[in-house]
Amino acid sequence: MFRNILEKGRRLAGLGSLVAALTVTAPAMAQDKEPIVFGGSIPLSGVFAFAGIHIHAGLTDYTDWINSEGGINGHPVKYVMEDTAYEVDRSVAAFKKISGSESPATYYGDSTGFMKAIASELNSQGNTLMSGASFATALTDNEQYPYQFIPGPNYSQMFGIILEYIADQGKDGDMPTVAFVYSDTEFGKDPIENGKARAAELGIEVVEDIVTKPGSVDVSSEILKLRRVRPDYVVFHGYVLSPINEFMVQMRQMGLDTQFMGTFWSSDKLIIDKMGEDADGYMGVMPYNYYDSEESGPMLDALRAQAEKSDPEAGYRPTGYMQAWFNAMVWTEVVKRTLDADKELTGDNMAEALASIEDWDTGGIIGIPVTVRDMSFPVGRIWRVNAEKGRYEPVSDWIHLD
Amino acid sequence: MDWMFFGEISLAGLAMGGLYALIALGFVIIYKATRVINFAIGEIMMFAAYLFLAFAGGMEMSAWIALPLAVIGGSLLGGVIEKTMIRPMLGESPISVVMVTIGIASILVGLVEFIWTADPQLLPSFLPREPVFIGDLYLAPKIAYGFLIGAAVLIVYLLYFRFSRGGVALRATASDQAAAYSMGINVRRVFNMAWVFGSLAASLAGVLVAATGGLSPQFGIIGLSVLVVVIVGGLDSILGALIAGVFIGWLETVAGAYFGGEYRMPATFLVLAVILVIRPYGLFGTHEIERV
Repeated sequence: MFRNILEKGRRLAGLGSLVAALTVTAPAMAQDKEPIVFGGSIPLSGVFAFAGIHIHAGLTDYTDWINSEGGINGHPVKYVMEDTAYEVDRSVAAFKKISGSESPATYYGDSTGFMKAIASELNSQGNTLMSGASFATALTDNEQYPYQFIPGPNYSQMFGIILEYIADQGKDGDMPTVAFVYSDTEFGKDPIENGKARAAELGIEVVEDIVTKPGSVDVSSEILKLRRVRPDYVVFHGYVLSPINEFMVQMRQMGLDTQFMGTFWSSDKLIIDKMGEDADGYMGVMPYNYYDSEESGPMLDALRAQAEKSDPEAGYRPTGYMQAWFNAMVWTEVVKRTLDADKELTGDNMAEALASIEDWDTGGIIGIPVTVRDMSFPVGRIWRVNAEKGRYEPVSDWIHLD
Repeated sequence: MDWMFFGEISLAGLAMGGLYALIALGFVIIYKATRVINFAIGEIMMFAAYLFLAFAGGMEMSAWIALPLAVIGGSLLGGVIEKTMIRPMLGESPISVVMVTIGIASILVGLVEFIWTADPQLLPSFLPREPVFIGDLYLAPKIAYGFLIGAAVLIVYLLYFRFSRGGVALRATASDQAAAYSMGINVRRVFNMAWVFGSLAASLAGVLVAATGGLSPQFGIIGLSVLVVVIVGGLDSILGALIAGVFIGWLETVAGAYFGGEYRMPATFLVLAVILVIRPYGLFGTHEIERV
C-alpha cells in the first residue's frame, strides 16, 4: 500500500515538475525548420484530472514519437501546455498565453465550455485549428465553429451508433425499448433530443428519460422509475463511473434483464477496474481500439511501443490517452496535407485539409478507413465488458455513419 | 396516483435524509460549540471515505475494522485541524475563520489527489446486497443499511450530549462561553471535542454516502449542499439538523422522481428561500440579533 502511495507520489512529483515547467519540449533535433506547435489547455488538476493526466501523456508521447520519425515534413513538433484545473477562465487564459507566445498551429481544448467560449477569438485569429476532449454536437456546426473539429463521432452520432446496434437486436418487428439516463449538465443533455429523434426513425421506443443531479449521492428513486418501465436497454451519457454502477447493480437486484450501454467517456476500463464482476456485460461505443484489444496495425503498434518506452510501469493506457494520440495524429495529417499543398498554416487552409480526409487509414487506431463529415469522424464500434478477462471485447462491426 | 411508487420513493428519500441529518450534525456540533461554520466538513467526509478505501481496499482489512478506523481517522483529523489551524484564529473575524476552513478544504482535496490520484473510486462493497422490502415497498439495500447505521450513531450522540459530563460541558459552552469558563469548564478542550465529534459524524456519513454514490476528490461538494439542511433546521440546533435533514432528503427525492432530476436542487432551494423569509434563523435555530 505505502509502496504504492510512494510510487504514485514519485510519478506525480515528476508530473508536477513538468507542470511547473509549463512547457514540454520535444528533444532537440538537428532540424533547421521552424517547429510546428501543438498547444493545449490540459486539465491536470480538478474534476477532469483523472482523464487530463492521460491526455497529457498521450500528447507528450505522440510528440516524442513524431519527432523520432523526423517531425512533420522535417519540421520538429513542440507541445506546449498549461494546467487549467478544468476551469473555462483558466483554459481561456492558457490559450491566450500560448497563442501569444508560441503561435500554435493546433490546440487541444479541455472542455465544450472552453471551446465554445474561445470560438470568436479563434475565428478572428484564424491561424489555429482546435479539437480536444469534447465530442459536443454543437461544435460540428461549421458556420459557428469553422476551426474546430471532433476527434471521433459527436455525442449525437454516438447515440446514433448505439441505437443502430440496438435496432439490429430487434427480431421480426419486436423492437427493444430503451431508456436514456444522463447528467443534468450541458455535456449530459447534448445528445438527448437528437437521440430521441433517431430512435423514433429506427422504430425504437424511448420509454423513459432520466436526468440525474451531478454528483448525485443516491439514484434509487430514478431506479424505481426504471423498474416500472422495464427497458430492454439503458443508455448512459454524461458520467464517468457513478451512478452507472448503482443503476446496474440495483436493477439486476430487482431481477431486470436490462442491458446497459454508454458513450465515450462512460466506456473506459475504469468501469471494469472499479466495478469488477458487476461490470460484466456493460457495453460502450468507442471510436478507437482499446489499448489492450487484440487489434493491431502500424500506428497502434507504434502507440503501444511509445507508451511502453515512456513509462514501462504504466501498463494499460486509458481511452483519454488514445483520444489524445488520435487528436495529434489528425493534427499531423492536416498540417502535412496543408504543407504538401504549399499553403500557409491558417485556420481556413487546415480546415480545408481536414475536410479533404477521405478513407484515411489510421494504422489500426480506428479499425476501418475513416472519412471526415462535418468536422467529425462519425465512426465507432460497440464493445462489451468481459469482466473475467478484465477488458472490453467488440460485439459489433465498425459502424461508419453517413 | 400510484401510492406504491410514492411509498417507495418516500422511503428512499427518508433514508437518504437520515444520512443528510448525520452530515448536518457534523456542521451543527462544531457551530454550536465554537461559532465556526466549517466549510471543510465535506472534505473531512471525503478524507474519511478515502481512508476507508485505503484500509478496506488497499490493505484488504475487513470492512468492519476499516469502518471504525476510517471514522476515527476522520475525527482525529478534525481535532488536529482545530488545534493547529482554528485555535490560533480565536478572536479573529468570523470571515477569516471561514476562509481558513475553505483553505483547509482545498488542501485536503490536493492531498487525496496526491495520494489516491484524481480517478473516481468505488468503495469495496461491505453492506448486504439483498434487496430490502418493508411490506411490499422496495428499498435499496445500501440506503437501508446506511440509514440504520447512521440512525444508531445519531441515537448514541443524542444520549451522550444529554447525559454525559462531556455533553453537558459542550452544551454549557454553547449556551454561554463566559459562564462555562467561570464554572471551571475547559472551554478550549470543549472546542476541540466539538471538532472531533462533529468530524466523527461527518466521517461516518462520508463512508456511508461514498458507499452509495462513489468517491472522487470532488466528493466534498456534498457537504456544501447539506448546508441547506443546516440553514433550514437552524445552524445551532441538533434537533433542527435531524428534522431538516430527513425532510430535505425526502423532498429532494420526491421532487426528482416526479419532476425530474433537474428539479431536485430548485425544490430544496425554494424551501430554503421560504424559510429564510419566515424564520431567518432556521426552523429551530436560536433567534439571535447580531449588531455589527
